[in-house]
Amino acid sequence: MANKESILVIEDEKNIGNYIETIITARGYKVLRAYNGMSGMTVINSYCPDLILLDLGLPDIDGMEILRRVREFSDVPVIVLSARTKEEEKVRALDEGADDYLTKPFGADELLARIRTALRHYARHTNMLPEPAYSRDGLVIDFEKRLVTLQGEPVHLTQIQYKLVSLLAKNAGKVLTYDSILKEIWGPYADTDNQILRVNMANIRRKLEANPAEPHYIFTEIGVGYRMIEST
Amino acid sequence: MKKPRMAKKTLCQNTITTVTFLTIATVLAYLFFLASLNTTSVAFIYVLTVMLIARNTDGYVPGIVAGVIGVICVNVVFTYPYMKLNFNLDGYPITFIVMMMVSGITSTLTTQAKRQNEMLIEQEKLLMEAEKETMRANLLRAVSHDLRTPLTSIIGMSGTCLEESETLTPEEKKEMIRGINEDANWLLNMVENLLSVTRIQVGDTHVATSPECLEEVVAEALSRLKKRLPEIQVRVKVPDDVLMVSMDATLIEQVIINLLENSYYHSGVEDAIDFYVERQGLEVVFHIRDYGRGIEPERIDTIFDGAGTDPNKSGDSHKGMGIGLSICKTIITAHEGQIYAKNREKGVEFVFTLPIGEEITDGE
Repeated sequence: MANKESILVIEDEKNIGNYIETIITARGYKVLRAYNGMSGMTVINSYCPDLILLDLGLPDIDGMEILRRVREFSDVPVIVLSARTKEEEKVRALDEGADDYLTKPFGADELLARIRTALRHYARHTNMLPEPAYSRDGLVIDFEKRLVTLQGEPVHLTQIQYKLVSLLAKNAGKVLTYDSILKEIWGPYADTDNQILRVNMANIRRKLEANPAEPHYIFTEIGVGYRMIEST
Repeated sequence: MKKPRMAKKTLCQNTITTVTFLTIATVLAYLFFLASLNTTSVAFIYVLTVMLIARNTDGYVPGIVAGVIGVICVNVVFTYPYMKLNFNLDGYPITFIVMMMVSGITSTLTTQAKRQNEMLIEQEKLLMEAEKETMRANLLRAVSHDLRTPLTSIIGMSGTCLEESETLTPEEKKEMIRGINEDANWLLNMVENLLSVTRIQVGDTHVATSPECLEEVVAEALSRLKKRLPEIQVRVKVPDDVLMVSMDATLIEQVIINLLENSYYHSGVEDAIDFYVERQGLEVVFHIRDYGRGIEPERIDTIFDGAGTDPNKSGDSHKGMGIGLSICKTIITAHEGQIYAKNREKGVEFVFTLPIGEEITDGE
């Protein structure tokens, strides 16, 4: 790659920072490091990284505060690193404009997949590129024809179900929170109760997945939202 | 500081109860007396009242006081000469004495019974607390043992890798790093188990539940487990109907993971594990069935009690599931479900149930 994308890692734990740096340098990204929130902000302002990996538990400023400040002037993709069992924190970060999150401990594959997805969505978004058809392991979604096929066979979805699937497919690889999906599909005055969404998702699962208990295309992150597998 | 005020409060309550009962009794007795002019039945009404007062107040005093008042009332109001104290009536001293004694005895008896009851409850409370305390101590002991074992191997193997980096062959190094990785993953699950315990103890024995889509919980548990144990084979089946069940999803996932992991490590075979969920009336029943060597019959009833493996039988104590299983039981009990294990023809079946809360029907 001639023009290496730069990734800023804001993480106070040295070992975890080193681990992340090793993985992403090996993939040809340029790495910037910051050990606390203040220096992180400085790096963001002076170097304009292409992506930020942000730990939420920093010694000086709350990670959420950094996210808020960054979002005041930039759309740069931000991936939040957080500890497990804190669903509320993840949801809050996503609603504040984070692009995705990773739960500690995470593997190298996961980290790289999230980075790839975030960078790709950002590029498509800024260049206003049309959405190409979604295709993965026999599931094809043609957004222009509004057609979903599975192993060549058309899948019959209701209006709402199609909207849901296409929304997830257009954001494939990214987690979408219950609230953001509800707002997008049912409008801003939708009921905050997500039951209707989950029942719809369960019905979609019965049409797309061979075994609803072992989904292949759409994954649930309980307490947070849904994530569709990346398109190939 | 608090006690006198409490006493005042009880005194007040006692007085109110006594007065109320006596008033009702007097009214009743008066009506009765008008109808029949029979003093004996009036006396019985008062005896009954005294018993009721003793039953509903604290201490001996109200009962005895009520007894005295009753006797005086009978004397003054209901016997000739009316509205005057007169102890010289024929046979009256006997009625008087009997009534006093009955009031005294009943109020003493009921008070004693009440005291005993209180003591029993108190004792039970103490016993339960002691039990909780031993459980906690057992858990801590088991945890520190179970944590130390993998930590020892992690420290040992990583230390060797650092110190002997020149003499070790790449294969040996890789093998050690694999070992470190496996143990660290195991520790992670242990920590998650412990975290789930704290999640329960916040609200004592109950958990905050919300309706969750059954298959989503199953799917997430499986994907989390497979991340850690990629080679585990599970055949999973959920009901065709969309089922929403009230639960704490994180905790139920932990139960599923622990049971599957237990089967994986302890069945002794690598055959696929069957994991199926079905609805039975107002319950969902989860079955985890392996085809391995089964559980010793003498352990099957205590397997969830946290005692874990026999300390004399070291065997594969490294992956001891004692804590994991006892946490499963804690979680399921907190959900008001049941958990048990059964030996089958070949292998073991672990079963746990969850009550179905509110139901949501198909949204199509």
